[in-house]
Amino acid sequence: MKIGGGHVRGGGGAADGPVKVTQTPYVVGSSVLGVKCIDGVVISSDTLASYGSMAKFRKISRIHKVSDACVIGAGGEFSDFQEIKKTMDGVMIEQFCMDDGYVLTPSAIHQYLVRVMYGRRNKMDPLWNQVVMAGFHDGKATLGMVDQVGSNFESEVIATGYGLYMGLPLLRNAYRPDITVAEAKKLLEDIMRVLFYRDARTSNSIQIAAVTKDGVEISEFYDLETKWDYQRFVDGARSGDVSTW
Amino acid sequence: MDPLLRPGHNAPHLPAAMGPGYADVFDRLSRQGGRVETTGTNALPTFDAHAGAKQASFQPYQNNGGSVVAVAGKDFCVVASDTRFGLGFAVPTRMISRNLVLNDKVVLATAGMQADTCTLHKVLRIRLDMYRQNHGKDMSLGAVSQLLSNTLYYKRFFPYYTFNVLGGVDENGEGFCYGYDAIGSHEKVKVVCTGSSQSLIQPVLDNQVDGKQMYDGQPVAELSLEQTVELVKDCFSSAGERDIYTVGLDGRGQPPLYVKILKLAFVLTSHPLRSKYTRSHFIQGQSPAVRDSQTTTDTYFT
Amino acid sequence: MVREGRMFLTRSEYDRGVNTFSPEGRLFQVEYAIEAIKLGSTAIGIKTEQGVVLAVEKRLTSPLLEPRSVEKLVVIDSQIGCAMSGLTADARTLIDHARVETQSHRFTYDEPMQIDSCAQAICDLALQFGEDGKEEDAMSRPFGVALLIAGIDVGGKPSLIHTDPSGTYVKWDAKAIGAGSEGAQTALQEAFSKTLTLQEAEVLALRTLKQVMEEKLNKTNVEIGAALVETGEFRVYSSEELEACIERL
Repeated sequence: MKIGGGHVRGGGGAADGPVKVTQTPYVVGSSVLGVKCIDGVVISSDTLASYGSMAKFRKISRIHKVSDACVIGAGGEFSDFQEIKKTMDGVMIEQFCMDDGYVLTPSAIHQYLVRVMYGRRNKMDPLWNQVVMAGFHDGKATLGMVDQVGSNFESEVIATGYGLYMGLPLLRNAYRPDITVAEAKKLLEDIMRVLFYRDARTSNSIQIAAVTKDGVEISEFYDLETKWDYQRFVDGARSGDVSTW
Repeated sequence: MDPLLRPGHNAPHLPAAMGPGYADVFDRLSRQGGRVETTGTNALPTFDAHAGAKQASFQPYQNNGGSVVAVAGKDFCVVASDTRFGLGFAVPTRMISRNLVLNDKVVLATAGMQADTCTLHKVLRIRLDMYRQNHGKDMSLGAVSQLLSNTLYYKRFFPYYTFNVLGGVDENGEGFCYGYDAIGSHEKVKVVCTGSSQSLIQPVLDNQVDGKQMYDGQPVAELSLEQTVELVKDCFSSAGERDIYTVGLDGRGQPPLYVKILKLAFVLTSHPLRSKYTRSHFIQGQSPAVRDSQTTTDTYFT
Repeated sequence: MVREGRMFLTRSEYDRGVNTFSPEGRLFQVEYAIEAIKLGSTAIGIKTEQGVVLAVEKRLTSPLLEPRSVEKLVVIDSQIGCAMSGLTADARTLIDHARVETQSHRFTYDEPMQIDSCAQAICDLALQFGEDGKEEDAMSRPFGVALLIAGIDVGGKPSLIHTDPSGTYVKWDAKAIGAGSEGAQTALQEAFSKTLTLQEAEVLALRTLKQVMEEKLNKTNVEIGAALVETGEFRVYSSEELEACIERL
């Protein structure tokens, strides 16, 4: 039995009404990319949330600042991401109210989120997202991800969604251990452009966030410059062409 | 023993007991020949010939591949695993750890779903710490083997999708391994492999370590620690060539360009000074994102 | 004792609540529970390199009483046994708990529990008393019993452990508890040597019991058992074995 976007669980009780859980994502964001740098860490995403093939929300942020040393970016169900934001804000406020000067480290925030996501999948009530976490603490960058079943890892380069197929190889190619934040921003912009060209659920409006020793810096939304007059784009595919361009 | 319950076998009929909603989880995994459809945003509605178009719905299981091997000798045990994190046809990262050093004498390696692996490892680490505090000693290999079995069986009706090998040296200093299935059935052996390359590696180990299927039926000489390490390295090299969910090295110990990865290996011996390998020798490759064309096998094993 | 005149110096103010410290820092109910043991029959434990001997006196208050039904020496797990003195009914609760804990340890770890851990498990329960009644199974008062726990650890190490109502456990070479404990402990201290054989320990235990018992010692009014290094097991002696021990006195 389906009601709206949720699968109905029996026995919710008359007062509470039926319990709805996400069984399938509806309004979704696409790729998030991330690179660890020598002087910080950078992540990027576009600003689109799609409803099937419809570009439903074109100027929403899929990046969220969790602390002065940590940001998260998410693909997947947008409403679940809003819940994640609320949850993480709640955790940070609770910590702040302790007034002991202690702030959760980025890797602690990452692990916390992993446990939340894994706990929800165990309840068969997942938060349907692929979340990338970027942080900078004690002079060292951390970059990690977690998905709706709780899979998680830290890595030098991370890509989710379609970026996993088309962005990650480019990221791995371009990566150097001594890459700087400035270089990485340019790199991610280039890869976002590739994704925009080929992923029909990615828009040209993007946002880039960097975490460095100076804290979190999340850019305004801005449009990628695109170029459509490549001869191959113009000509398109012809019968007999080996290439699919 | 029911052949389906043996370590490394997916048992399609088992999760039926979990009730509707879980019933065909492993079944689906096995019908796809080990390949799991990505449960990401791009998952399309699947088409079932009998039921017509079906809505993609949440699957709590994910197969991230990986292979784990344990080989025990007279006074040592080698436990090794690859580090590839596979997801469908993608490799989101080449560097996850499947091994868990439980103490000086016991090492666990886990293939299967990474999220479950991670959780299982955390649970076990806590249980071992508690044991150490409560009983004032480290857990023995045998004790860990029983604890792991109970831990897996505890989730019998929503299992950890993990395939474990446990290796180490026992109280008498003799090396042993244990192989497990996802719900805790286990077997004490001298050599075992589970995970995505089980069917590629196990017969080789049976032949090389146990002397099975030898044409002349001559008993094989016992392998030294060094020979065992070399054999395990070769197993991963070869399996990596034929199994996309396992990473290996080529025959000369050179990782092919771009690909590949490191494996983690642990060597245990009851004689710490016996060789260059000391107990709980932790061997790990360099950063995966580094272009690793120049690295050699020895980089991983020093 | 004139209670009214010495309000703060007597125990009367503080000896009711089991969770109330007196100004001198004492928990009287726990101390009274320890006193209760001094009313109990005497039990003796002696550790040797070959094993640990436990011997207990059974008070048979009537010739019509069935001696075998008075049980003061019990097996906890195959490698652990214990002797009790005090309110033996309370001991059943502790021993049931220890039996569950040792079996649970075997189930979880496929190995026998250490003697130390077993004593710790017993003492954990011994401390679970209180008046708030929040905990379902908790006792409202301290357990009025002391135990001598004897056992052999993996690797053949013998242990003799004494537990009391305060939840304290201490290891001993030779220990006496119960009504005759003062005299018995002095006798043990004089006669004990680390080089005792198991047979010598059996004799010493019975001889010491004999000294402090009011009744004449015979095969029905004592029990003896031992945890043996050789087998790694605890066993209560049969009446024939007990008779043989008595003959050696």
